[in-house]
Amino acid sequence: MKEAIRYLGYGRNTADERTCTMIRNAFSEVENAAGTKCICRIFDVEQTADNNTAIGNLIIDSRSLSRNLKGCTKAVLFGATLGAGVDRLIRRTSLTDMSHAVIQQACAAALLEEYCDEQQLAIGRKLENEGLYLRPRFSPGYGDFDIRYQEPIMRMLDCAKTIGLTMTSSYMMTPTKSVTAVIGASRIKERCPVAGCEACGKSDCEYRR
Amino acid sequence: MIRDRLGKELLLFDGGMGTLLQERGLAPGELPETWNISRPEVIREIHKNYIKAGSDIVLTNTFGANALKFQAEGCSLEQTVKTAVRLVKEAAKKAGAAPAETSGTGNGKRTVYAALDIGPTGKLLKPMGDLDFEEAYEAFKEVMIWGEEAGADLIHIETMSDTYELKAAVLAAKENTSLPVFATAIFDERRKLLTGADVPSVIALLEGLHVDALGINCGMGPEQMMPVLEEYVKYSSLPIIVKPNAGLPKQRGGQTYYDVSPDEFAGYMEKIVSMGACVIGGCCGTTPGHIKAMADRCGKMQIVPPAEKKYTVVSSYGQSVFLGEGSKIIGERINPTGKKKFKQALKEHDLEYILREGITQQDNGAHILDVNVGLPDIDEPAMMKETVQELQSVVNLPLQIDTVDAEAMEAALRIYNGKAMVNSVSGKQESMDKVFPLIRKYGGVVIGLTLDEDGIPADAEGRVRIARKIIDEAAKYGIGKKDIVIDALAMTISSEPAGAKVTLETLRRLKDEVGVNTVLGVSNISFGLPSRPVINAAFYTMAMMNGLSAGIINPSSEDMMKAWYAYHALMGLDTNCERYIGRYSSTQSSGGGSGAAGASPSGIGQKSTLSLRESIEKGLKEDASLITTHLSEKQDPLEIINTELIPALNHVGDGFEKGTVFLPQLLMSAEAAKSAFAVLKDKMDRSGEVQEKIGTIVLATVKGDIHDIGKNIVKVLLENYSFDVIDLGKDVAPELIVETVREKNVRLVGLSALMTTTVVSMEETIRLLREGAPQCKVMVGGAVLNQDYADMIGADFYGKDAMQSVRYARELFAG
Repeated sequence: MKEAIRYLGYGRNTADERTCTMIRNAFSEVENAAGTKCICRIFDVEQTADNNTAIGNLIIDSRSLSRNLKGCTKAVLFGATLGAGVDRLIRRTSLTDMSHAVIQQACAAALLEEYCDEQQLAIGRKLENEGLYLRPRFSPGYGDFDIRYQEPIMRMLDCAKTIGLTMTSSYMMTPTKSVTAVIGASRIKERCPVAGCEACGKSDCEYRR
Repeated sequence: MIRDRLGKELLLFDGGMGTLLQERGLAPGELPETWNISRPEVIREIHKNYIKAGSDIVLTNTFGANALKFQAEGCSLEQTVKTAVRLVKEAAKKAGAAPAETSGTGNGKRTVYAALDIGPTGKLLKPMGDLDFEEAYEAFKEVMIWGEEAGADLIHIETMSDTYELKAAVLAAKENTSLPVFATAIFDERRKLLTGADVPSVIALLEGLHVDALGINCGMGPEQMMPVLEEYVKYSSLPIIVKPNAGLPKQRGGQTYYDVSPDEFAGYMEKIVSMGACVIGGCCGTTPGHIKAMADRCGKMQIVPPAEKKYTVVSSYGQSVFLGEGSKIIGERINPTGKKKFKQALKEHDLEYILREGITQQDNGAHILDVNVGLPDIDEPAMMKETVQELQSVVNLPLQIDTVDAEAMEAALRIYNGKAMVNSVSGKQESMDKVFPLIRKYGGVVIGLTLDEDGIPADAEGRVRIARKIIDEAAKYGIGKKDIVIDALAMTISSEPAGAKVTLETLRRLKDEVGVNTVLGVSNISFGLPSRPVINAAFYTMAMMNGLSAGIINPSSEDMMKAWYAYHALMGLDTNCERYIGRYSSTQSSGGGSGAAGASPSGIGQKSTLSLRESIEKGLKEDASLITTHLSEKQDPLEIINTELIPALNHVGDGFEKGTVFLPQLLMSAEAAKSAFAVLKDKMDRSGEVQEKIGTIVLATVKGDIHDIGKNIVKVLLENYSFDVIDLGKDVAPELIVETVREKNVRLVGLSALMTTTVVSMEETIRLLREGAPQCKVMVGGAVLNQDYADMIGADFYGKDAMQSVRYARELFAG
């Protein structure tokens, strides 16, 4: 709820009661339309030359990712989606009521983040048994982690088949309410695994938590 | 031929390929099909092991071999596919069996069939994704042609999670090869495809396209598949294929594995055969060991031969509708006949108007939507195709293609995602010759009108005779009675006193004597009479009572809906009267009005205490429209716009820019203003007054970009400020934008892009605009943009938010 309000551009302001009611309704509409699915696979990580990281056979050239994965021996490749039903719902609502559509859109984004957090915690609990601790998840398109890495990541996870997540030729995920990410795993327990927004350098962002 | 054995004896498929290749060193993400060329001996060996284990049908290693998925250096796709077929044939010989073409020579060897394996493209089709239906078709087509040339014995389309892609693949196989076609889809525990389709809708689609066998593969283990299989057995008239994984996927040490053992697997498969599967095999995680155990256990079993099912089903991408269970509602509103606004929308290519008609009807209870876009001066095939495509992206109801234009009918049936209802064929030979081949090819449930060369028979006897003629003629095409719905025809009682009685008798006899489903355009009955809803609702009830399977009505007519709910409650077709109670328990005198946004008129009854300006500032849609109606009785519309509407919008817009009003409120106000404008526009249309538009603006989300919510926000606001907006939609080619700008002599274009990868096409669009329409200004917006970026790609203006774009547009057109 708080997240959805933030996505709607309220910043630290509170929303009025009517908008809150609309948000609550929109959450349940989005939940009903969603066919939430996720997939993960764990790979060995090797940090090679300066900024290169090898995840399985995939070599990624990114300073931000290599910083994110520093000290990790393994990495989880992760894909999640709310499914095409949510896209349809928002498109349908856009035709009849834009304010409602914008709220559904924010709720969908919030729901997806929440779902990813839950799944990540679950993965984390399993890996703790093997003495591995997760880092915050990191997605292609952030920092200098090129969006184009989405393609091999989705191939390695076989996303189209396993969770129905595909990509357009311009690297947009379809269904649109979807995430791919790399989650580092190290032997050393460092910090809270689901911190995301705060780690970003863009401190003047209007959507910042 | 495998067709001679299919459905008569049990046939065995092979098992997994991917898992075995991974054991032999295939890396995650590496394309398995490259091994056909680089390590053919490994592929051949695996095939051979399956044949020895007992497989009658072996899949070629071509699951991902299509131009959209398979991009490998130094590896031709054609060679990869053709080699794959050859490897199965060679393996058969090595295993001491006979490839299909050499069998039947009396050498006593077991026959092995090479099935060309076709998997999904890995892309999502339009409009949810960016892959065009025909592009998908082409990708499948070339592989299938190569497969047939190389000697494949059948085509096996599998692991499909989208009915639309499934349809493209089956059509490609049917139109370009003469091979038998098997098709299986991947269901989850909810018994749905990833895209939402249920089992009956998948079966309806595939049976309509005349595949040879259909079924389930992948996704689940044999045990979890059983509930899905149960549904298949219930609804399918064709042989059923079942190919489970070796259980649900598990992970250990970073590796995916499956843990149902060969013996367990065989045990489940025995049960699956006894339930009704005719072709069995394995998918992910199954090995020659599993197939061997399965062959040992099930090899001698008798199958349950598939039986013809009698259901009349139409489907959309996401659901199936059964005719003959209660009476279904077919919404009639997407039709220009007698509707001025609708005609105008068609002429102006205002698809959104049409889509909203669809949404409203669904909200009001329609089960199927009739789609008629025929007007003398429009390109009906193109319009029909576009309307169907757009409708199926926002409404999950099955559609009824309503046209007399065979070309439009075929265009729509081809791209329709499901098994459509078709309106209509008549008893005229010419009509049947034209329509039945299309139904035969694409599938569908067709409405047969009880009229022929001699016109409409005046009595029930004559109409029943024509119905029988239609059914008999359809049978010649292999179209069963279950796929025909007869229209008994309602003739107005104002000119035909016995009209209603004849129609009702026809309905009853069609049901009792002919055993066919029926349909009626109900409201024709009252044509020319006053207070038509009174007659319509009564006749509707009588028609349902006489067996009407589906009424073509206006679901927004409360009288008709009352009749529908009451009939179903009265006839025990509404368990515990739940639907009736759900609809009417909270209704007081006013009725209707769903108020999806949670905003109901604050004023009780007719009088609101708010001013129009306040109602817009507060974003109260219903109030705004109500107050405007009252106000416009004594005030000039233009005056209302200038003294109430525009100041309210300005006030809210200023608040948004200052950070005291937020996006949802801004849009609620915009929606409220829109509803007020609609009232005023109606009034002005009637008085012939015209409100000057400030100017025309083209909006588009650029090529490659499919996020359009930002663009839609800008659109709503610009329209509020009296701009004429031409919305070209999302993923728009630069050429189309330039062409539109030139044709309409447009002064301002707004472009949106979400990601760095699509800003490239924004830049390209601007470049082409500068060349082709130098007078036109360009404003841009979108998540990744900022002023610097906008300057870099040569935009005239960067709008940080929607209000800034409005402000820029107003300044530009004021100057």
